Amino acid sequence: MTIEIGRLVVKTAGRDAGLKAVIIDILDGNYVLIDGETRRRKCNILHIEPLKDAIKIKKNASHEDVKKEFEKLRLKIRETKPKQKTERPRKKRKTSEQLRQQKEEKKKLRDIFRKKEEKVQKTAEKEARREETLEDKAGLGEGKKE
Amino acid sequence: MPQPYKRSRSLRRLNIKVSGKSVLHYKERKPGNAKCGNCGIVLKGVSRKRSVKMQKTPITGKRPERPYSNLCSRCMRYVIIDKARLQ
Repeated sequence: MTIEIGRLVVKTAGRDAGLKAVIIDILDGNYVLIDGETRRRKCNILHIEPLKDAIKIKKNASHEDVKKEFEKLRLKIRETKPKQKTERPRKKRKTSEQLRQQKEEKKKLRDIFRKKEEKVQKTAEKEARREETLEDKAGLGEGKKE
Repeated sequence: MPQPYKRSRSLRRLNIKVSGKSVLHYKERKPGNAKCGNCGIVLKGVSRKRSVKMQKTPITGKRPERPYSNLCSRCMRYVIIDKARLQ
């Protein structure tokens, strides 16, 4: 069996091994272009095994033409979806108004925290005074006993 | 006979220094190399991990992606070619 355009082959190497394909184009003495159950790809002649069957197909036929021919033979075809382009997330510069708003919000937050800190300090001072008085009382009590 | 799960001699022993003293640590042994079912050559691309770590590895990390992953690439090629020629 010769290697020619339209010849059905089985791939014998790689992750597509054991899958059927058809030769679409002969690139040079060593490489051919295949399509079918495998991915549409360039392939070394040493990595394929030609079969008895052949299909009538044009040189460099499109994937759809190959699909039609494979459907006649009741063979599955590999469909690869092309990647859809997505926009890259890019940082946008803030406008002067947005910066002003940001500063105001930060100021508000700072004021709230300052008030809280002042409250905490005042309570701590009060507690310290109470403890002092209690200690004094205790000291007095001890003094009286002595 | 001790119960299998109570055996310590079948485990891998490691002398590890902990704060100046050498201490014996026991670890499970790794499984042997995977071999081709036809010719017996050691397979490449088949991971050799303990069962716990094997669970965590993805399927593609455990074995090659091609068909007949229990065979080496050469034997796999012969099988596929034989099948193709019989058709």
